[in-house]
Amino acid sequence: MDAQVRAVLYRVIRRIPNKNLENLLKKWNCLSTDQLYALDYTRPKWVTVEHVISFCEENRLNLKHITNLEMMYHIENPDQGIWHACQLTEAQDDAVCVELTQFKEQFKAHLHGVIRHISIKMKKHEDEAVWIRIAWGDNFSKPNHLKPTYIVHHLHTSYVFISNLMAKHKIFLCQALVIATKHGSIKDGHLSTRSLTAMRELLLRCYQQVFPSAHSRILQERNALPSHPCIGKEHSDHEEMRYLMSCEAFGHGPTPKLETAVYRLETRYRGNGNNTLSDREEFFRGVVRFSSSSLLDSLRHCVASGMAEGPVTPLLSAITQRGRNYFVITDKGPGVSSQASAQ
Amino acid sequence: MDGQVETVEQGVLGHLMALERRGMGQQDQHESQRLEMLKVRAVALRAQRDQLKHQADAVKILKDKISKDLPLDDADAAGGFIELQKSLLTAWRMQLKDLQRAHHLIGGYDLVECKEGKSVCVSFHTAFEGVYLETYNMELDLTRTVQISRHNIPPSFPLESIAKQILQKDLKGFLQTLSQKLNALAGRRQQVYLLKELVGSVEVMESNQLCNILVLMCTAQGETPKAVLCTLEYGDLTQCLPTRVSIECEDKTLSESPQWKKHQSLLLESPAHTALLTMRRMGSIA
Repeated sequence: MDAQVRAVLYRVIRRIPNKNLENLLKKWNCLSTDQLYALDYTRPKWVTVEHVISFCEENRLNLKHITNLEMMYHIENPDQGIWHACQLTEAQDDAVCVELTQFKEQFKAHLHGVIRHISIKMKKHEDEAVWIRIAWGDNFSKPNHLKPTYIVHHLHTSYVFISNLMAKHKIFLCQALVIATKHGSIKDGHLSTRSLTAMRELLLRCYQQVFPSAHSRILQERNALPSHPCIGKEHSDHEEMRYLMSCEAFGHGPTPKLETAVYRLETRYRGNGNNTLSDREEFFRGVVRFSSSSLLDSLRHCVASGMAEGPVTPLLSAITQRGRNYFVITDKGPGVSSQASAQ
Repeated sequence: MDGQVETVEQGVLGHLMALERRGMGQQDQHESQRLEMLKVRAVALRAQRDQLKHQADAVKILKDKISKDLPLDDADAAGGFIELQKSLLTAWRMQLKDLQRAHHLIGGYDLVECKEGKSVCVSFHTAFEGVYLETYNMELDLTRTVQISRHNIPPSFPLESIAKQILQKDLKGFLQTLSQKLNALAGRRQQVYLLKELVGSVEVMESNQLCNILVLMCTAQGETPKAVLCTLEYGDLTQCLPTRVSIECEDKTLSESPQWKKHQSLLLESPAHTALLTMRRMGSIA
């Protein structure tokens, strides 16, 4: 194993916490049972790392095996680093017929055609997600495996989730994706989170949405708390309505665990107190940032308990409806809601 | 009075106990009075209920007569002209409600108004082989042009292309196409599920979210069991049946045999799980 391979292996093993390491190494199936048995996870981490590296050298493992291990770790623990969502637009007529092998071939072919040194690995997970790992090089230097880009895409959807992409490689990746999925273009999705699971749940609509229907009163089962017959709720209708409103905007049951929402303001100050601020011609630039361990739950509770007035302002409901958490608000109205598109 | 004289000597606790005793005594009296009142009220309510039942029956009879276009006779007009008017209106209303329920049952669309008329919500119910499957909803914004504002249709479904083609010109056509394709998708998905449940020996090698391709591996019975790969392509997204079926096997004679040609047409004509069950019953596959 040469120095570069060893460096990559060192980095990979060091980043995996001990509790995942044992299972991962077993699943990897590149170390023999004796070697696995010999590893003692109660020793300090650097000792374990050294042992694993020496076993890998014994078994003459190469870069392919190591990148496989890294990919397996990321697939099982996707909620690391910062993920950004992109959206493919202008689907061509045969975009629906793209199948997996075709996608893989076209993607790889394009990237290999534009960059001489590049290492691409693709894996399809059982939940229909295609995971892609790219180590970028250029025409002169070999691929850098210490800073790989990870991409996740569900075929036939228009969303692509990207992590750790450098600006200079963005154009190549976008071109490859657009060609391989038979779309016209790709644009920024304005959604970034630390948790890929939350992002996927939000955009692929894996949470329970609530729609008004002729047969409403579906949320009655939530009142499971037995209440004393002597206690009467005065405003139970209003409470029901507020709860229904909050669920329509943010979903019912467990919501995707988004952490932040950022609103960049480029508006003029409209207050009536401070003269110096309201006279200015230039914009009052500010950034409003909502943070929470589970933002959608908090917002839903705000609306349901009456803290935020209903009907739910489109600025907040746009988080779930448009599937984004970065908005720029200008004087003419929020830049987000000018176009009510299907996604 | 006696109690009051006693309590001064026995303190607060004694006072409280004396009050309690007094209260209990009075309560007995109250209890029996209340019981009488409730009994009387129950009798009155029962009489009212019987009267309302009688009236409802009369209206139902009237409504049946109207829906069957039978002539109304004097017995119906017994209660006076105003009464007759009222009964007629109620009867008409019940008939229209029945019509509406029938409309739902045959797959009509319910448009629910929301946001004070600015948007409507539509529900699409899907079913396959007599079993209700998922319900999909969609909210359409009607302010300037008809646009989809939100929905819970799976993202792999080509919703935008259908909307681009039909939505602006013909709302009913759009709803019809959508319902057809959603039903077909639910049907295809249900076939894969039933396949896995009922025919466990067949392995699903490839499928996708849109369920427009299905690759199955079956084990053909014979002297030596051989693996047969069946590829079902669903080119028409409005259908639950495949448009193309190809059978591949290492043993060329097997895939060319008339038995397997028949199986190929069976897979083209009937749902996947039914076809495979038949093939298993005939002994061709494990």
